[in-house]
Amino acid sequence: MGHHQNHRILMVSDFFYPNFGGVENHIYYLSQCLLKLGHKVVVVTHAYGNRSGIRYMTGGLKVYYVPWRPFYMQNTLPTIYGLLPIIRTILIREKITIVHGHQAFSTFCHEALMHGRTMGYKFTLADLSQAICVSHTSKENTVLRSGLPPEKVFVIPNAVDTAMFKPADQCPSIEEIVIVVISRLVYRKGADLLVEVIPEVCRLHPNVRFIIGGDGAKRVRLEEMREKHSLQDRVEMLGAVQHDQVRSVLISGHIFLNSSLTEAFCIAILEAASCGLLTVSTRVGGVPEVLPEDMIVLAEPDPSAMVQAVGKAISMLPEIDPQVMHKRMRELYNWHDVAKRTEIVYDHALKCSNQNLLERLSRYLSCGSWAGKLFCLVMIVGFLLWRLLELWQPADEIEEVPDVILPDNHHEEMLHQSQ
Amino acid sequence: MTKFSISNTNYTYVHDQNDRSEGIDVHHIIVKRSGAKALFVYISVLVLLASAFYLYAYEGKSVTLVYYCLLFNIIFVKILLWRPVAKESVVIMPAFGVQLETHYMSGKVTRHFVPIDKILKPVLLERVTPMTCYWTLSLIVREESELMLIFKNLRPPVKMLVHVWKALCAGTDSK
Repeated sequence: MGHHQNHRILMVSDFFYPNFGGVENHIYYLSQCLLKLGHKVVVVTHAYGNRSGIRYMTGGLKVYYVPWRPFYMQNTLPTIYGLLPIIRTILIREKITIVHGHQAFSTFCHEALMHGRTMGYKFTLADLSQAICVSHTSKENTVLRSGLPPEKVFVIPNAVDTAMFKPADQCPSIEEIVIVVISRLVYRKGADLLVEVIPEVCRLHPNVRFIIGGDGAKRVRLEEMREKHSLQDRVEMLGAVQHDQVRSVLISGHIFLNSSLTEAFCIAILEAASCGLLTVSTRVGGVPEVLPEDMIVLAEPDPSAMVQAVGKAISMLPEIDPQVMHKRMRELYNWHDVAKRTEIVYDHALKCSNQNLLERLSRYLSCGSWAGKLFCLVMIVGFLLWRLLELWQPADEIEEVPDVILPDNHHEEMLHQSQ
Repeated sequence: MTKFSISNTNYTYVHDQNDRSEGIDVHHIIVKRSGAKALFVYISVLVLLASAFYLYAYEGKSVTLVYYCLLFNIIFVKILLWRPVAKESVVIMPAFGVQLETHYMSGKVTRHFVPIDKILKPVLLERVTPMTCYWTLSLIVREESELMLIFKNLRPPVKMLVHVWKALCAGTDSK
C-alpha cells in the first residue's frame, strides 16, 4: 500500500450543519476520518441565518460559511461568476490540492467546481478527473447521463456510525410486533404506498403495531387513513424526530419499513440494521446493494407485494438476533473504510494530467448543438474573469493560513514521547 | 527610541517604542502612495478627456458628452486614487488603556480611547465577505456584543497584525 501523501481537501456543498440530513452527515464523518488519516480538510458552504464566517469543528475541521443568500431549499442563487473571487481566495489561502464536491444538484458546488477547474485544480465529481457514486446503480445512472467514461467513476458506499446505532440490551418481546417507519413523509419516499399498506397489514396481522416518525406534506393523508380505519391505538405518529433520538425510536421496534420510490443508497436502512431490525423495503435504485439478503426483504413498489413482504418478515423474526446483525454491520460498513477508499480516489485524481483550456473547450464543443457553444462561452468568460482577478488581487497578496495544531493532539504526542 | 518597520505594496508598518520607563508603545500603519498606478490613472484620464474634446470640436457631438466624460473622470480618480485615510495608529499605554487614531489626508485626526478595564482580549480573526476573506485585529470589549476593530479603514496583512497583537496582549496583560 505505502504511505499516501497528505492532501489538502476542500469539501464544497450547499448542505452542511446546522442543516440536518444524509449529505451533511456524510461530509462530516468523511472529513473527520480523513483528518484522522492526516490530511487537512476545509469545508465551504453558504451562510445559514446569521451563522456566517469561519467556524472550527471537532478535530480542527474548518468551515467557511460564505454570506451568499440561499435561494431555494438551501441552494444558493445560481449566479454564474459570483462565487469566483471568494473561492479563489479560499483555494489560495488554504493551499488546497483537491476539491471534492458533494451532491449532484447543488448550485454552490457546481460553480465552485467550475471555477476551480478554470484555475487548474484537481477534482472529484462532474466535469473532472474523477467521480464518486454511492452505489453501482448510481454509477450506471451517472455514466449514462453525463457521458463520463466508466473508469473515471468510483463507487464508494456510504457508511453508518455503528457506535451510535446499537441495538437495545433487552429485545422488546415478540408477542406484539412493532414496525417502525422513519422518513420524510413526501411522495418521493413512498408515503402514498404506506397509506395502502398499513391498513392491510393491520387487518391480516392483529398483533402488529406501527410507529411512524417524520413529517412532511403527506402526513395529513396518513392521519386520514388512521381515522378512516380507526387505527389510532395501532398506529402511533411521532412527528419530526431529531437525529439523536432516532436510535431510541428504532430500538423499540422489530421491523423497519422503507417504502421509497427512488433511492441511490439508503442510510436509514443501514441505521436500522445496525440497531438489529429486520428491514422490509422497495426494490428501487441502489437499495438491493445495501444489505445482505438475510437482513432485508425486498418487494416491488406495489401495495400487495409489500404486504406479502411484511408477512414474510414477520415469519422470519424469531430467527433474527440483533446483536449478531449489529456486529456484521460493524464489519461491513464503517467510515474509516470509506475514508481510505476516498483517499485512493484522491491519489488517482492527482495523477490525472491537467487538461489545459483549449482541450477542455474542444471537449465541450462536442456536447450538443448549441449547448456546447454556450458552455464554451461560459468557460472563456470565466477564464478571462480569473485573469482579471489575478491582476486586481495578485495571488501573492493573499496570505496563506498557518495550520492550527490543536492542543489535544499536542498533548497526545507529548504523552507518547514521555512513554 | 527604537523603530521597527515592515512594508508591502500597500502598507508600511512602523513600531515606535519608547525606551524609557514610561513604556508607551505606538504602532502605525501608513498607506503607501503608488507612483505607477497614479501615472496610469492620470494618463488614461487625459486620453479620455482629449478624445471627448476631439469628438466635440471636430465631429460636432454635443457638449454634454464632454461634461459626462469629466464626471466619469472625477469618479474614476476618486475611486482609484483619492484615499481619505493616510495612517492609522494604535497607542498602547500599559495599565491605562489603548488609543486608536485615524489620520486623514486632509490633516484631520480622529481619536478613540479605550480604558484598560473595558478590554477583555485582543483577537486575530478571519473575516469572510461575499468577495474575499482577510485577517482583522479586534478587541473584545466588556458589555458590548460587537467586536471593536482596531484598524477600521485599512486591511494590513497578517504579518503586520501579529506584531500589534502581541504588543496589545502584553500591554493589556491578558493571557
